[in-house]
Amino acid sequence: MNDLLNKIQKNTSTSPVKLSSHHLLSIEGMDKLEIQSLIDRADFFANLDKHSDTKFLQGYVVLNVFFENSTRTRVSFELAARRLGAEVINISLINSSIKKGESLLDTASTLNAMKPDLLIVRHPHSGAPILFANYLNCSIINAGDGRHEHPTQALLDALTIKRRIGYLEGLKISICGDIANSRVARSNIHLLTIMGAEVRCVAPPTLMPSGLEKLGVKCFYNMKEGIKNSDVVMLLRLQNERMSGTENPSEREYFKFFGLDETKLSLANSNAVIMHPGPMNRGVEIASALADDTNRSLIKTQVEMGVAVRMSIIEALNYTKHQI
Amino acid sequence: MAYSIFKSIKVVNPEIDVSDIFDVIIEDNKINAIVKNFDEVILSDKNPITFYNCNGLTMAPGLVDMRVNIGKTENLKLTQKVASENGITSMVLLPNQTPKLNNPSIIDHIQRQSEDPSLPKVWVYGAATKDDQSLQMCELGLMAELGAVGFTNGNKSIKNSLVLRRVMSYAQMINRPIIQHAEDEDLSGLNQASTTSIRGEMNEGEVSTRLGLIGIPSCAEVIMIERDIRLAKLTGVHYHVAHVSTRDGIDVIRKAKKEGVKITCDTAPPYFALNETELLSYNTAFKLSPPLRCEDDRLAVIEGIQDGTIDAIASDHRSRSNDTKIQPFSAASIGASGIETLFLLTLELVHKKIIDLNKAVSLLTTNPSNILNIEKNKIDNNKKATFIVFDENAIGKIDKNNLKTSPTPFHGRKTSGKVLGTFINGHATYIHKDLEEKIKK
Repeated sequence: MNDLLNKIQKNTSTSPVKLSSHHLLSIEGMDKLEIQSLIDRADFFANLDKHSDTKFLQGYVVLNVFFENSTRTRVSFELAARRLGAEVINISLINSSIKKGESLLDTASTLNAMKPDLLIVRHPHSGAPILFANYLNCSIINAGDGRHEHPTQALLDALTIKRRIGYLEGLKISICGDIANSRVARSNIHLLTIMGAEVRCVAPPTLMPSGLEKLGVKCFYNMKEGIKNSDVVMLLRLQNERMSGTENPSEREYFKFFGLDETKLSLANSNAVIMHPGPMNRGVEIASALADDTNRSLIKTQVEMGVAVRMSIIEALNYTKHQI
Repeated sequence: MAYSIFKSIKVVNPEIDVSDIFDVIIEDNKINAIVKNFDEVILSDKNPITFYNCNGLTMAPGLVDMRVNIGKTENLKLTQKVASENGITSMVLLPNQTPKLNNPSIIDHIQRQSEDPSLPKVWVYGAATKDDQSLQMCELGLMAELGAVGFTNGNKSIKNSLVLRRVMSYAQMINRPIIQHAEDEDLSGLNQASTTSIRGEMNEGEVSTRLGLIGIPSCAEVIMIERDIRLAKLTGVHYHVAHVSTRDGIDVIRKAKKEGVKITCDTAPPYFALNETELLSYNTAFKLSPPLRCEDDRLAVIEGIQDGTIDAIASDHRSRSNDTKIQPFSAASIGASGIETLFLLTLELVHKKIIDLNKAVSLLTTNPSNILNIEKNKIDNNKKATFIVFDENAIGKIDKNNLKTSPTPFHGRKTSGKVLGTFINGHATYIHKDLEEKIKK
């Protein structure tokens, strides 16, 4: 394994990234260098042929523990871990022990007793992966917790932008939609502001969380103003499952004011790109034709970059754990 | 006849606003004399005499904790005992427990069950309505006859305006206060059907946004207080706001007091000692109701205590098992222990020179007794010997592992002050070893 590592390190300017923690729980608290290194390393993975030998985590055991539905994130993590040679077990706990009354921590420590190296956790409650990290001794990756953070999504978004535009610093990036209920928005806001981008948030006041400006962003209720001259327009899904029903009058009204269409997009920078973490509601957040416009839409690239970013993260957590 | 002599002790008596060094002589269950330079020879033929050398120590009336939630009835004795070890000699139970205190027989039962002259006196609030959502008034009159000192829905607001109006006018007739947990529960998302994903969990603002937790706007408190004041004026009831936590809420109460509305309020230590930034680690010991507010609200609570807008400090004790707290924040139970830290945190206000000791003691003794019109503990001749002895300056640190109730939001906090003895009706209910060492038989 070490030979392989050395070989790879010799062939590239990047090497496994050492982080300040062997968990990845949030972007908030990370520094610019860590983020930059993870993106660079992921960029390297993204450039490799998918049949390249990157299996330097053989014997490493990863549990994908999902307390909430997910397709793309779970598959992406699984692929990333497999490409690194790790063993992956997927566990869906949406209808399992939790329903039998077992406490979250008992479930987690049961899994921990099987001595995995890494738990990838998605949970509907904000902060749940932090609870895991406080009590378990394996590494934890937050794969999305409630409305809190989805750090790997922000990292893959950053890689996607970097590969298309070349840099993040100074870019005007508009994050539009259901900010209040979005963990993707929070992770992106933290990451992009740390990296020196100008972040604007666009949402109706009912979906704009209180005190958001204090996170270093500008807030807009008018989408046309909010995306004016933007380089990147990031759309978010309306998280109906986290709403009470009083946030929006209707989907068609939402689309009229906050859905991305040609007219609104024409106000952005002429080369502006469109991103969406998925799953998309066509005709609600985004006009269907724009979503499919391969010149403007990076939505598929985002999915593709997910695997590379997650490889760099899993590798970094293993590396960090053994360096500490 | 048994005698105890507390030699050279500083006596704090908030009613007379004097604190000076005295010798206090207890005869059986009564205070016999408070004098300067007592000559023990007078008692030379009496036996037994317990002699406490109290140089440097302070005596104050036993503390009245006007807001204690015990959860389940079987925990009552333990709660009484722990309370006594922390200077509390009377406590008032909220009706939200199992079984609920919503009928005369349970009110009677719980007082009988807790009756023990050597343990803290247990008073009770009756539930105002049959259950939290109910439109049906409880038997306030019958409960009052059996000792209910006021009426409240405890940790829930009495929400319906018509019901509140009726409850208030009825309580006014029987001369009992209405105690309100002031929160517009629609606004804080608590009334949303079954789903837990949109219920308010903490104070709304930058911190809730960072944590991705659902915010409760601070105005949810003042909205309720403002409405209630209108109804209090209409009905003439004595209206008491429990655990007030916001600047706006306190401002409105201050104004109403000036207008002559019969209104009082209390707060609890978390609201003058902590703010919402404590939650940044998702530590569920800080999941409280009302939620910890912003720093400006905390400062307003302190101003309210200083200028007398806030009449009392209560522990707001709501002990929770660790199992319900070692949970993701959203799933964790609400509440924290309080009886073990009430006095220490109140003394902190004295050490920080925010209030003087006399005022601190009145917030914990005379004022709550006055609000609820219950027996006042007083250090005076011929009064019941119910008092505490403490060291104002003993340095310590709150350690959750040393507490008997959990969880505490004050783990690791440095403290000055320590209760060394609690005497209830002449019984030495609790004597710390430091005081034991000062006993000369």
